[in-house]
This record gives sequence, structure tokens and C-alpha cells, in this order.
Amino acid sequence: MIDLSIQQLDEKRILISGIPPVLAAMLREIPEILELRDSTEARARLYPNPTAGDDKINREWHQMMQPELRHLFVSAGETVGRDLTAMTADKEAGESWQVAFPIEHVSAWMSAINQTRLILGEIHKIDEEGMNRTDFNPRSAKDMAALRIHMLGYLLHQFVELGGDDGSEDHI
Amino acid sequence: MVRSMAPPIETGQPGVIVVGETRAKDELALPWNVIVHNDPINLMSYVTMVFMRVFGYPRARAETLMLEVHHKGRSLVWSGGREHAELYVQQLHGYQLLATMEKSAA
Repeated sequence: MIDLSIQQLDEKRILISGIPPVLAAMLREIPEILELRDSTEARARLYPNPTAGDDKINREWHQMMQPELRHLFVSAGETVGRDLTAMTADKEAGESWQVAFPIEHVSAWMSAINQTRLILGEIHKIDEEGMNRTDFNPRSAKDMAALRIHMLGYLLHQFVELGGDDGSEDHI
Repeated sequence: MVRSMAPPIETGQPGVIVVGETRAKDELALPWNVIVHNDPINLMSYVTMVFMRVFGYPRARAETLMLEVHHKGRSLVWSGGREHAELYVQQLHGYQLLATMEKSAA
């Protein structure tokens, strides 16, 4: 049973508590997975074309927008990486973990979690059918990636339920 | 937004001409559609939240569009001038949604 919860501690801080060990391990992997953002597969997904077939617009778009977008994604990942260094064992809740961070980091957390999910999906070529599976073979890297995507998705959904609003500017 | 001036109109009154302002070029041009495409990874709740934040849509409209993306593979989520369309696509990419823009056919 997962007792994971995200709550606002006070005006300035968010607390994720009840993080099960397996999810804590997945969170610690986020910075490493995000390092794959410049792989061919991940790049195509994180920096998609703005038109279906206008090569000129697409080329100009990537020249102008991609550096800014990459900076945004890298910055979000670095913020979460720093916050995760403060993740500690939750002594009051058995084997679970907790982490607190400034409320203005919420957008960065949502971005980094979703980037991680998308990168895993691209690298392991996970499609709709793969996402709908409920049985996961622990010996299959693809299945374990799908499991990571689901578990990180559960956490992302909790952020959405929280409102996902840290009062900061929109992503761009 | 660039506005162009209409040619002067002769009024028939000596020394009096009327210079009218035309409608903005954007208003005359065909609108651009912003399309969001389905992908297997993004959460339905996340996509709904993004539509609410980027376009300011109420939850019911955002959910309707999200479900259209989910069931039909794509949804036209906004239509209007090119500059705004570019800004919206940029924002949607910032949220990691698959979004494109295309000139309206009609």
C-alpha cells in the first residue's frame, strides 16, 4: 500500500512524504536518466517539430527555440537533483522516505518527472500497448522502464491534484 | 502587430481626403490552428492541466479537448493569428506536449 502524499508544509515549502523505497530509488535515478535528453530518440520527442511538413519553419524553429527549451529542461532537472539530495528516511513511517523543497520548485519537479517518463518511453520504445500492460517482467528492461513511467506518473498525478501551481511564471 | 494604411480616399471636397486604416494583416490572413497530438506517455490529468494553464480554458473544455486527443489522436485546441499560434506551440512544447501548428484550410 502506498501512503504517498504531497502537501504544502507552510507558505514556502512542499513536502512529499510516504515515498516507498522503490519510488525513492527511481527518484534518485532521475538526474542520470535526464542526462539522456540529448540522445537521438529523446531529442526528437523533447524538441518536436512545430509543423507537420514545413521544413523551413521547422528549421528556423529549432534554431531559435531549442536552446531556450533545453535550458528550461536542464534547469528543471538540476533543481530537482539538488532537492533530492535532501531526501531522508521518514522515521515515523516505517521504511518510507520524504523530501521537502521550496514551493517555487513545483513546476521544476513536474517538468523533470515528465521529462524522465518521456525519455524512458522513447529509449525503450514504449507504445500505448506497452503502457496498458499490467504484468511486468523484472528481467525485461522495457517492462521495468514501463513500471518506472507508471510510478513516476503516479507522483506526477499527485502534483496535478495539488494544483501544480507554484506561483511562478509559466514554462516559457 | 503591423497595421497597414489604406490609400487615401478622394472625398470630392477640395483639400479633404480621408485616410482609412485597414484591418490588421493578421485579421485578413487565414487563421493558424494549434493541434495537440496523442502520445502514450503523457497523463490525461496532466494534459488537462496544461490546457487550463496555457489557454485559460475551464476544466470542462480542457477535459473535452484532452479526451479528443486521447480518442481521435489529435485535437484542434486553438485557432487564430500566427504569432499567437507560435507562442502557444512554444508553451505546449515547454510542457512536453506534442503540438504542431498548421494554416487553416478554410
